[in-house]
Amino acid sequence: MNTFRVARSALRAKPMGSLLARRTYADAAGPADKIRLSLTMPHQSIYQANDVIQVNLPAESGDMGVLANHLPSIEQLRPGLIDIVEEGSGNKQFFVSGGFAVVQPNSELSVNAVEAYSLDQFSPENVKSLLAEAQKIANGSGSEQDIAEAKIEVEVLEALQAALK
Amino acid sequence: MVAAWKAAGLSYNKYLAVAARVVRRSLKDEPRLKAERRGQFELKFAKWENGKQQESKPLSTL
Repeated sequence: MNTFRVARSALRAKPMGSLLARRTYADAAGPADKIRLSLTMPHQSIYQANDVIQVNLPAESGDMGVLANHLPSIEQLRPGLIDIVEEGSGNKQFFVSGGFAVVQPNSELSVNAVEAYSLDQFSPENVKSLLAEAQKIANGSGSEQDIAEAKIEVEVLEALQAALK
Repeated sequence: MVAAWKAAGLSYNKYLAVAARVVRRSLKDEPRLKAERRGQFELKFAKWENGKQQESKPLSTL
């Protein structure tokens, strides 16, 4: 009986309220008007929890801009341009091959892609010749698999060509 | 709307791999060579049935 009373007083000495109040979303987040961006590929991360002002994403459901305190959501990305608005240094653009963007409740945004490169690293001549080749295969009489792959390539290359203009 | 790759019976993983491959190919020469080396991978798999390993196949045949 006595030990039971001791245990109860020990519980009371450590109020549960402080445990709950200790960690909130607001603590983990950065400045209120910024969004914390991570842009990661399997082999490299371009942004690692950096605070930026806005990120424009080519989502499968349509282009979207993400600011601080955005509604949490998960978006599948099309091959396309990610536009990042940073404070001071202006916009940065990366072409991603597709992946996912996860908007977390505490103004955090994680973008996962397989490949992401800035536009100056692409060769417009390569894009043009690859596009011509892919279109030929897509309209040709190859196997179903080849045609499906060529159609994906056409989709990516057309997006890339539009971005490079 | 069902995406074209899904209608053709490709997996999302395969779709991503094809899209990434063509992005790597459209880079300028210097980053392209670096990236293409990274893009090569081989993975073989085999099923085990009745305690015996069956024929091993490369993943790319899936």
